[in-house]
Amino acid sequence: MKIKVTVNGQLYERDVLEHKTLLRFLREDLGLTGTKEGCGMGECGACTVFFNGKVMNSCMILAVEADGATIDTIEGESRGPSLTDIQKAMEKNNSVQCGFCTPGMVMSIKELLQNKAKPSIPEIKEAIEGNFCRCTGYVQIIEAVLDVTGRSKEKGELKHV
Amino acid sequence: MVYEFRYLAPKSKAKLCAMLLEHAQDGKLLAGGTDLLPNIRNGVFRLKYVIDLKQLPGAASLKYSQQDGLILGPAVTINDVLRNRTARRLYPVLCDCAHELASHQIRNRATVAGNVANASPCSDMAPALLCLGATAVIRSATGQRTIPFTQFFAGVKKTVMLPGEFLEHIIIPPAASPAAGRYLKLKRIAGHDLGIVGVLGTLQDGKRRFAVSSAAPTPVLVENVAAGDDESTVVKKVLAAVSPISDVRSSKEYREHMIGVFVQRLLQEVQ
Repeated sequence: MKIKVTVNGQLYERDVLEHKTLLRFLREDLGLTGTKEGCGMGECGACTVFFNGKVMNSCMILAVEADGATIDTIEGESRGPSLTDIQKAMEKNNSVQCGFCTPGMVMSIKELLQNKAKPSIPEIKEAIEGNFCRCTGYVQIIEAVLDVTGRSKEKGELKHV
Repeated sequence: MVYEFRYLAPKSKAKLCAMLLEHAQDGKLLAGGTDLLPNIRNGVFRLKYVIDLKQLPGAASLKYSQQDGLILGPAVTINDVLRNRTARRLYPVLCDCAHELASHQIRNRATVAGNVANASPCSDMAPALLCLGATAVIRSATGQRTIPFTQFFAGVKKTVMLPGEFLEHIIIPPAASPAAGRYLKLKRIAGHDLGIVGVLGTLQDGKRRFAVSSAAPTPVLVENVAAGDDESTVVKKVLAAVSPISDVRSSKEYREHMIGVFVQRLLQEVQ
């Protein structure tokens, strides 16, 4: 089936297999391998992308369902060598170890900060509850969000910088 | 996905009903897909056709009127409800259950209709729809029928919907004053997880209701609680109505115990 989909601002027209997930379409057909497959069934959130402005698990969406949609992935975050503020904060606060969860984590944090300029710690935890990280124990990731929203330093909450 | 299937996206209800009837054996309806697609991947379903309802006109419409109440189209997502001011103001119980469902990403995709049409015993939206007296509008090629959600669930993953029928709308009736209530869900981890047991307790116009998920083959509504009942009588009535089962997630005894704990807590908290 032919689909038209805008990914990171660029329009793609592709013929896709009807049983292919959006995740595999992004990775295999478009070569955007930043988005990862962890569990493939909506548990881990490694495949999180923006679908029409909201974060969703791309492993549980068919590519054909994205016909006419706007998708944003981790590749749309950094232009050239520069990083976004969220990415910089994650790097600074040691929020990345193996890095497998990071692309999805950045997407979830981005949606959180679009809706809430200064989220509380419970709000941060809720926003990333669908993103598993098996390395950091989440503390450093939460600290990165506190850091990027300009709080925490005076509160002494950044313990891993 | 692990095997090939065809994707159909009808643009009219008549077409959708015809497709559902034609592919009653080898097809399934797709709304949010957060249950269907993992099940296809895991080989639970062997399908030749996946029939998407999201292209139907008005599929994602969420409307409220004082006369009819809240009317949800079949593609209204969990977060559509949570973001809706009217729903938050007039149906806080619905939002409390919605908030407990899975993770943020899934709530952005999963639909209310899918959560109940799927008829999982651990449906988180079913307790709210049961306690709020919601009805299901079921559409087929030959017409529409409306049934209360108390008669909607027929067993584990089974509803009373026949081949060729789909859940066209969910109607939650208007109320003079919003039902107070809280949904307590026991799960293994603080984040998103399927429930071990979930109990919703509501209080509306002096009437207490309880709805229990993840304990019996279907979500169960308990309405026979009287205003003068003491705690242990209420717990007994709820347990008698639910009769919890043992399965991979919990034993019958643990479920019975936790339902008792939750019912007692809700009796104190929901005033």
